[in-house]
Amino acid sequence: MQLVTSMWMRPRATFIGTAPVLACRPSYLSPLAWLGLQAAALWPHGAWMARRVQDGSDEPLGLAALALLLMLLVARSHTLRIAPHTGWLAASALLTLAANAALLAAPPLLCALIGALALAAALMAWLPARGPRAPLAGLVVLALPLISSLQYYGGYPLRVLTAQLSAWALQFAGIAAERAGTSMLVRGQLVIVDAPCSGVQMVWMAYFCACAVAALTVLRDGDFLKRLPAIGALVLVGNVLRNSLLVALESRPQGLDADIHQAIGLVVLAMVCAAVAVTMKGARHDDLA
Amino acid sequence: MRRVRGPVFPLLRHPLAPLSRTGRVVVCVLFALWAFAMSVAWSPAFADDSQAAPAEGPYFQLAGGDPAIDRLPLKSTQVDARIAGVIADVTITQRYKNEGQRPIEARYVFPGSTRAAVHAMQVRLGGRVLNAKIEEKQRARIQHETAKREGKTSALLEQERPNVFQMNVANILPGDDILVELRYTELVAPTEGRYEFVFPTVVGPRYHKPSTAGGSSSFPATPHLKEGEAPNSSFAMTVRFASPLPVGELRSPSHGIEVAGEGTPQAEVTVNDTVSHNRDFILHYRLAGERTATGLTLFQGDGPDGGGENFFLAVVEPPLAIAPAQINPREYVFVVDISGSMHGYPLNTAKVLLRNLIGHLRPTDTFNVMLFSGSSQMLNPAPVAATRANIDRAIATIDQQRGGGSTEIVPALKRIAALPKASDVSRSVIVVTDGYVTVENEVFQLVRRNLGNSNVFAFGIGTSVNRHLIEGIARAGQGEPFVVTKPEMAAAQAERLRKMIDAPVLTQLKARFDGLEVYDVEPATLDALPDVLGGRPVLLYGKWRGEPRGQLVLEGQAATGTHTEVVPVRAPDADASALRHLWARSRIQQLSDQEALEGGSGQRDAITALGLHYSLLTQYTSFIAIDQIVRTSEAAVPVNRPLPLPQGVSNLAVGEVGAAVPSTPEPAAWLSLLVVLGLVGVALSRRGKW
Repeated sequence: MQLVTSMWMRPRATFIGTAPVLACRPSYLSPLAWLGLQAAALWPHGAWMARRVQDGSDEPLGLAALALLLMLLVARSHTLRIAPHTGWLAASALLTLAANAALLAAPPLLCALIGALALAAALMAWLPARGPRAPLAGLVVLALPLISSLQYYGGYPLRVLTAQLSAWALQFAGIAAERAGTSMLVRGQLVIVDAPCSGVQMVWMAYFCACAVAALTVLRDGDFLKRLPAIGALVLVGNVLRNSLLVALESRPQGLDADIHQAIGLVVLAMVCAAVAVTMKGARHDDLA
Repeated sequence: MRRVRGPVFPLLRHPLAPLSRTGRVVVCVLFALWAFAMSVAWSPAFADDSQAAPAEGPYFQLAGGDPAIDRLPLKSTQVDARIAGVIADVTITQRYKNEGQRPIEARYVFPGSTRAAVHAMQVRLGGRVLNAKIEEKQRARIQHETAKREGKTSALLEQERPNVFQMNVANILPGDDILVELRYTELVAPTEGRYEFVFPTVVGPRYHKPSTAGGSSSFPATPHLKEGEAPNSSFAMTVRFASPLPVGELRSPSHGIEVAGEGTPQAEVTVNDTVSHNRDFILHYRLAGERTATGLTLFQGDGPDGGGENFFLAVVEPPLAIAPAQINPREYVFVVDISGSMHGYPLNTAKVLLRNLIGHLRPTDTFNVMLFSGSSQMLNPAPVAATRANIDRAIATIDQQRGGGSTEIVPALKRIAALPKASDVSRSVIVVTDGYVTVENEVFQLVRRNLGNSNVFAFGIGTSVNRHLIEGIARAGQGEPFVVTKPEMAAAQAERLRKMIDAPVLTQLKARFDGLEVYDVEPATLDALPDVLGGRPVLLYGKWRGEPRGQLVLEGQAATGTHTEVVPVRAPDADASALRHLWARSRIQQLSDQEALEGGSGQRDAITALGLHYSLLTQYTSFIAIDQIVRTSEAAVPVNRPLPLPQGVSNLAVGEVGAAVPSTPEPAAWLSLLVVLGLVGVALSRRGKW
């Protein structure tokens, strides 16, 4: 694989533009096949991801991002460049080497993240310059088993923030509420904002939705990147709304039915994702999407 | 752009032909189905931890594992109970057989009666009989581990709670058929003329917070089968009477039974239920003519069994309660467990009970209700009058409960203890729970120290209640224990409580022995005995010396004035050697109560000495039997015997055992994903319109 990469890194300039087919010898290897080989070069990371999914240590949501990415690539394969962008290709090769070398020292998730960046760089090399490339790169990153790690590193601050904002929201609504750590005391009833309440899953869903909509509606990369921070804000607002509603209902003497609990979570998620979709819609829709 | 065709496979061609509209739909549908299947099919509980010994607490048994290992070596349990007078002598025989190809160590957590004095164990292995010896607990454990490493077969019996034991049988080789026999004695005292013999068959899943999570108690790991799954081992039970009086009215509210010889002193009862070891076996009976085998029984320990000490047991029935002319108003606080283990049948039973208890309060009474699981909440900020509207509102709120979450009983009782109380109001605290916790000692300490200004009554709800907790709460709170195994019993038990609170039978109770020299009497304070609230007899254990003559005089205040009961001393009964164990068991219980009140293990030495001297299983002494023949060099695989869930208890008792308090988790991942995909699909289908 790396041998092939090095061959690709030295295309003869005389062929570019005049005879790219011959220059890149693509008749023997389509861009999709090339990307497949690139992915195969990263097999240790793929195997690790598969293990993470199989042993239940992470949610298998990454598979959805991977599946969407593959669908988009297959659907747009006719727009892929005949001659890849050399700079991105070189970056991809270097990142592939780095990802595999990092296995000796770095944690598997970090290695897989470098591997994902390598694949994203390869995508950049093959995707047309004017099309949406950043959302596809985003999908590559979302394909990683991120939820548990996000929960571990980002869960606590998110929980504190959510609990505090919820406490203020409930106080504003005239309900006695206060925060203590990541717990809330509402009408004298203790309700905890534990890991499953942090909103990390909503973060993943919102960014997945953002990447999908941006890719399918052909949003320009610059616009996509500029609007990304708004997604974070939408998620925070959505999670605080969800948490406040649930805490208010859970603290009643009769508690809250599990199905209603689930339904409220889904409705708020749908509202957040609808807002994300509106935020991320591009100038036109991809005909092949 | 020129199309270039690859030679091998369509995907290798560049560029690919664009998908048709149908193709896009098919791809979308396949993608959604795939994501759905992946999300649902991969359960988080995928890792195989069958070889690992879980730390503590309940968990569900996972199927599978190495087929060479027999994971269910306990094949049968046979119980033979012999009841003579007020003393039951019970023999439990557990049969272990290894039908696998590797040596195993069988671990089995099983229940016992709260009053059981376990005094002997025997192991039968290949025609040999190994008599277990009583040892200090740590020493016994070291001996067991050493024997296990050396390849010897060893059986270790430990007490985890006064009513929970753990059997470890190490190095059961393939083909081995081992019988472990243990014996215990207990007192079967009558209540209002009726006897109740209880044999628990299963340990319910206890809510346990390990020390790593801030818990303060220890409890062995207990694997459980899922709701509705029956254990593979068989269970048989026989109760034989050797009574001085004819035995009648033999009934079991828990099991189907066959009775032979009813109305004779040698009646025999056999359990004939197909599924019988997922609930307490309860047997009710009376002796002929409403008489009870009570009085003062003496045992003279001159023989080899006596150890040179003489023992006595007094079982004195109280007079009938008479309702007083005037009943003072009272304040009632109901503390109701709504945790996961109460979900379903137990909580439904509790609701019927509470409808009876709260629904019959007098208008002059006041009451409040606390519901607790992971956290607790009071129905009212302060006690309210027992008006119809308040009662209906309380019952409606209780009826809405479904049961879920953990069982944080200690914080709940602390909150009760902190409630303000007027000095001129009598308060009764009524705790309603299945008792599936492991913090019994903390609860007893809390009740004794902080609820001394109230009477605390405990209702155990369910088919396999933790009677140690229920009886202990009542003892510490100077109240009475009740067990309600089914809704039909609720009304009668509620009525019994009402009578008890309204009209205590005997107060300011004192006892003295005239003409008989007694010592080491339990309870020690003969001039200030606990009040007698119901129809339970007064029990006194002790030792005596000198001549067996004189009488026991009991004096107390009844509704009709001073009540005096005189019980003459009878000649010693040579068959009453069980009094040794019953006295020691009673003393150990008193020391354990004191230890629970003080915290720590301050009574360790005294309890150990009693256990070793009287050959009794205690929290500090264990039975161990070791075969001296080295039988294997292969390490034994530990195998935990899964316990069925008690009848009526749902999976929530185990599944939500870690859920501390209500929380606000996000919806299921796969449902969320479907919502997002659907939303993206809708957005795309409205192209150009948004």
